[in-house]
Amino acid sequence: MMKFKFSFIFILLITMLLSACGGGNETGGGGGSIDKEGNITLEFWYALGGDSGEAVKELVARFNESQTGITVIGTYQGDYTTAMAKVYSAITGDTVPNVAQLGGAPLLGTSGAILSMEEIMSADESFDPAVIRTAFWDYNTAGGEIWSMPFNNSVPILYYNKDLFSAAGVDPNSPPQNLDELLTIAQALTISSEASGGTTQWGLNTRPDTHWYLSTLILENGGQIVNEDETEMLYNSPEAVEMLQLWSDWVNTYKVMPINQHEEALTDFLAGKLGMLIGSTSMARSIKEQATFDVGAVMFPAVGDERQVPLGGGSLVIFKNGDQRLVDASWEFVKFMVSRDSSIFLTSQTGYIPIYADAMDWDEVAGLVAENPLRQAGFDSLPNTVSIPVFSALGNSDLALQKAVEQVELGAATPQEALDAAKTSVDHAIETQFSTE
Amino acid sequence: MNNTTIRSIHRSRHSWARTRKTLLDILWYVVVTFLALCVMVPFIWMIVTSLKGQNEIFTYPPTWIPQDWQWKNYVDVWQEAPFGRYFLNSTFVALMVTVGQLTSCILAGFAFARMEFKGKNFMFLLFLSTTMISSQVTLVPSYLIMRSLNWIDHYQALIVPFLANAFGVFMIRQSFRSVPREMEEAAKLDGCGRLRFLVQIMLPLCKPILASQALFAFMGNWNSYLWPLIVTNQDDMRTLQIGLRYFVSGEGGTKWGLYMAAAVLVSLPVIIIYFLVQKTFVESMASTGLKDI
Repeated sequence: MMKFKFSFIFILLITMLLSACGGGNETGGGGGSIDKEGNITLEFWYALGGDSGEAVKELVARFNESQTGITVIGTYQGDYTTAMAKVYSAITGDTVPNVAQLGGAPLLGTSGAILSMEEIMSADESFDPAVIRTAFWDYNTAGGEIWSMPFNNSVPILYYNKDLFSAAGVDPNSPPQNLDELLTIAQALTISSEASGGTTQWGLNTRPDTHWYLSTLILENGGQIVNEDETEMLYNSPEAVEMLQLWSDWVNTYKVMPINQHEEALTDFLAGKLGMLIGSTSMARSIKEQATFDVGAVMFPAVGDERQVPLGGGSLVIFKNGDQRLVDASWEFVKFMVSRDSSIFLTSQTGYIPIYADAMDWDEVAGLVAENPLRQAGFDSLPNTVSIPVFSALGNSDLALQKAVEQVELGAATPQEALDAAKTSVDHAIETQFSTE
Repeated sequence: MNNTTIRSIHRSRHSWARTRKTLLDILWYVVVTFLALCVMVPFIWMIVTSLKGQNEIFTYPPTWIPQDWQWKNYVDVWQEAPFGRYFLNSTFVALMVTVGQLTSCILAGFAFARMEFKGKNFMFLLFLSTTMISSQVTLVPSYLIMRSLNWIDHYQALIVPFLANAFGVFMIRQSFRSVPREMEEAAKLDGCGRLRFLVQIMLPLCKPILASQALFAFMGNWNSYLWPLIVTNQDDMRTLQIGLRYFVSGEGGTKWGLYMAAAVLVSLPVIIIYFLVQKTFVESMASTGLKDI
């Protein structure tokens, strides 16, 4: 009797599991579907949360209202890393969506899963690529082909605490323009005493993506990240070593920047314990909302007079699909997402910078600065935007540079040693993991 | 020495011992209170932060009592994402996994502990060896299996892969082995079948270990993030952890107040369950039968 009851429960359990959810729509040969009346449903995956995620959601809703015939279903897929893991799983399982917003998007070009954005664009006369800045196109190019559409982009800038400037006797309206001024002001802002057990207020720090800020310095100093064939790293050059040496001096000689505390930099800044913070423009809105003091922002400091700010952020890609109508609809959606109005909306809701070449002349953009003066720094940077070549081992390279910064800050290696090691490891990765032969 | 003196010496010794005991008790409570505070501070901080406005979260020195109570955060959480649906999904999936995993682990554990069959030890080692493969390695192959079964965006994909658990089998096998064989023989003599012996005698004896295994299964599933994200595409099929993550933005714009309000809602059920099974759980931790492998 007992035996019967037990197996009954077990079978019941299994049945419940298998019947837990029936139905669901079938998709084959790429995402999306078309019903009998010809109404198109597109799948769109995005990797932005928080305020930016809300802005993307709103843009999708606006697109769905703007026309009949196409409905886009947007779903959040985790941050850039997770979303990319998900996309690669979907590629192997042939369950890709129609459109996705991703970081490092052009590298998907080699996967064979996405369509060339360049080809789609050139087939549509109504779309003029010249309205978008060249650097943004470079940022979406891999192997000489434009694979993705610039969408949410940012550049590094310098945020500073005006109250701390005043307290240290520095004019809060003349923030540092170059590296010399940066050091002088950082020294003025740093407060340390034996009595209180070390430094209580730091002059300068950066967010944890140190590779981005070091790269900026290297580019401004005339150095390069990778050679033209994208086979060899060039950041153990004298120009690059000089910049990492300078970084090391901030930490170890002048002691204006704490050792290896980049994770806490934002918290320290918002708590008023850090005078200047190097970070992304994408934080312009949240910093403004969260700070309890008067904040300022200025372009990333120049090396001499040279300014070059490498872009960061994500882009839109269109996946291959068996049905041309779905591809056309995807392109309509992408066009909407990067339209003038959408671009302004995204910028207004986040800290991303507009992708349009003439954005600085738009009335709306002036309005955005009036609403949040921190935005000015990002807009000012627009003419100096550049793109670090998007190559196969870019992820390895970013990590190698971060490691080099960490080693130098900790005094475990000289700048030359650290950058030599970084170059060797990334060159090796290109040779072994990414070679196409 | 007369009797009175002896008695008074005894008494003073006695009272000294009592004072010593009280002192030790006080010291003990101080230490325990301190440890309890260490554990509680993050939870308290989470609750406090969930009631703060965006501009108060990073103030220094930190405030322990919000200056401006933002109960609105909790309302906003429910409006910004379909948390009701996420709750339903998470609860259903976690319960199914717990029940299913417990059932399979009990049956397998019993077989490994009490039954004789060919290749038993080899099979058991094979089972154990699966605990050494990290889930990242099996992510894509597992995904492909789900895909070929057409289970993407279905509850099965969230439940079925977790119905077996090698660690659970191991734990339960160990605790089954600590039940004396004589008991089984006695039961057998009285005409008790294997399954009945398992259900009516073994299981009640091993309650603590079953409770902790259930808790592990439930919590592990409740907290999982990557797998549910990979195998679901529709918002309707998603679980709480994904909803939680949505409030975070690596590039700035994290809504800390909302994030923490959501975190309170997400961790509450697990905390409640922990309190409910706490006694049996602690018991099992103290008596995990790791002897006689």
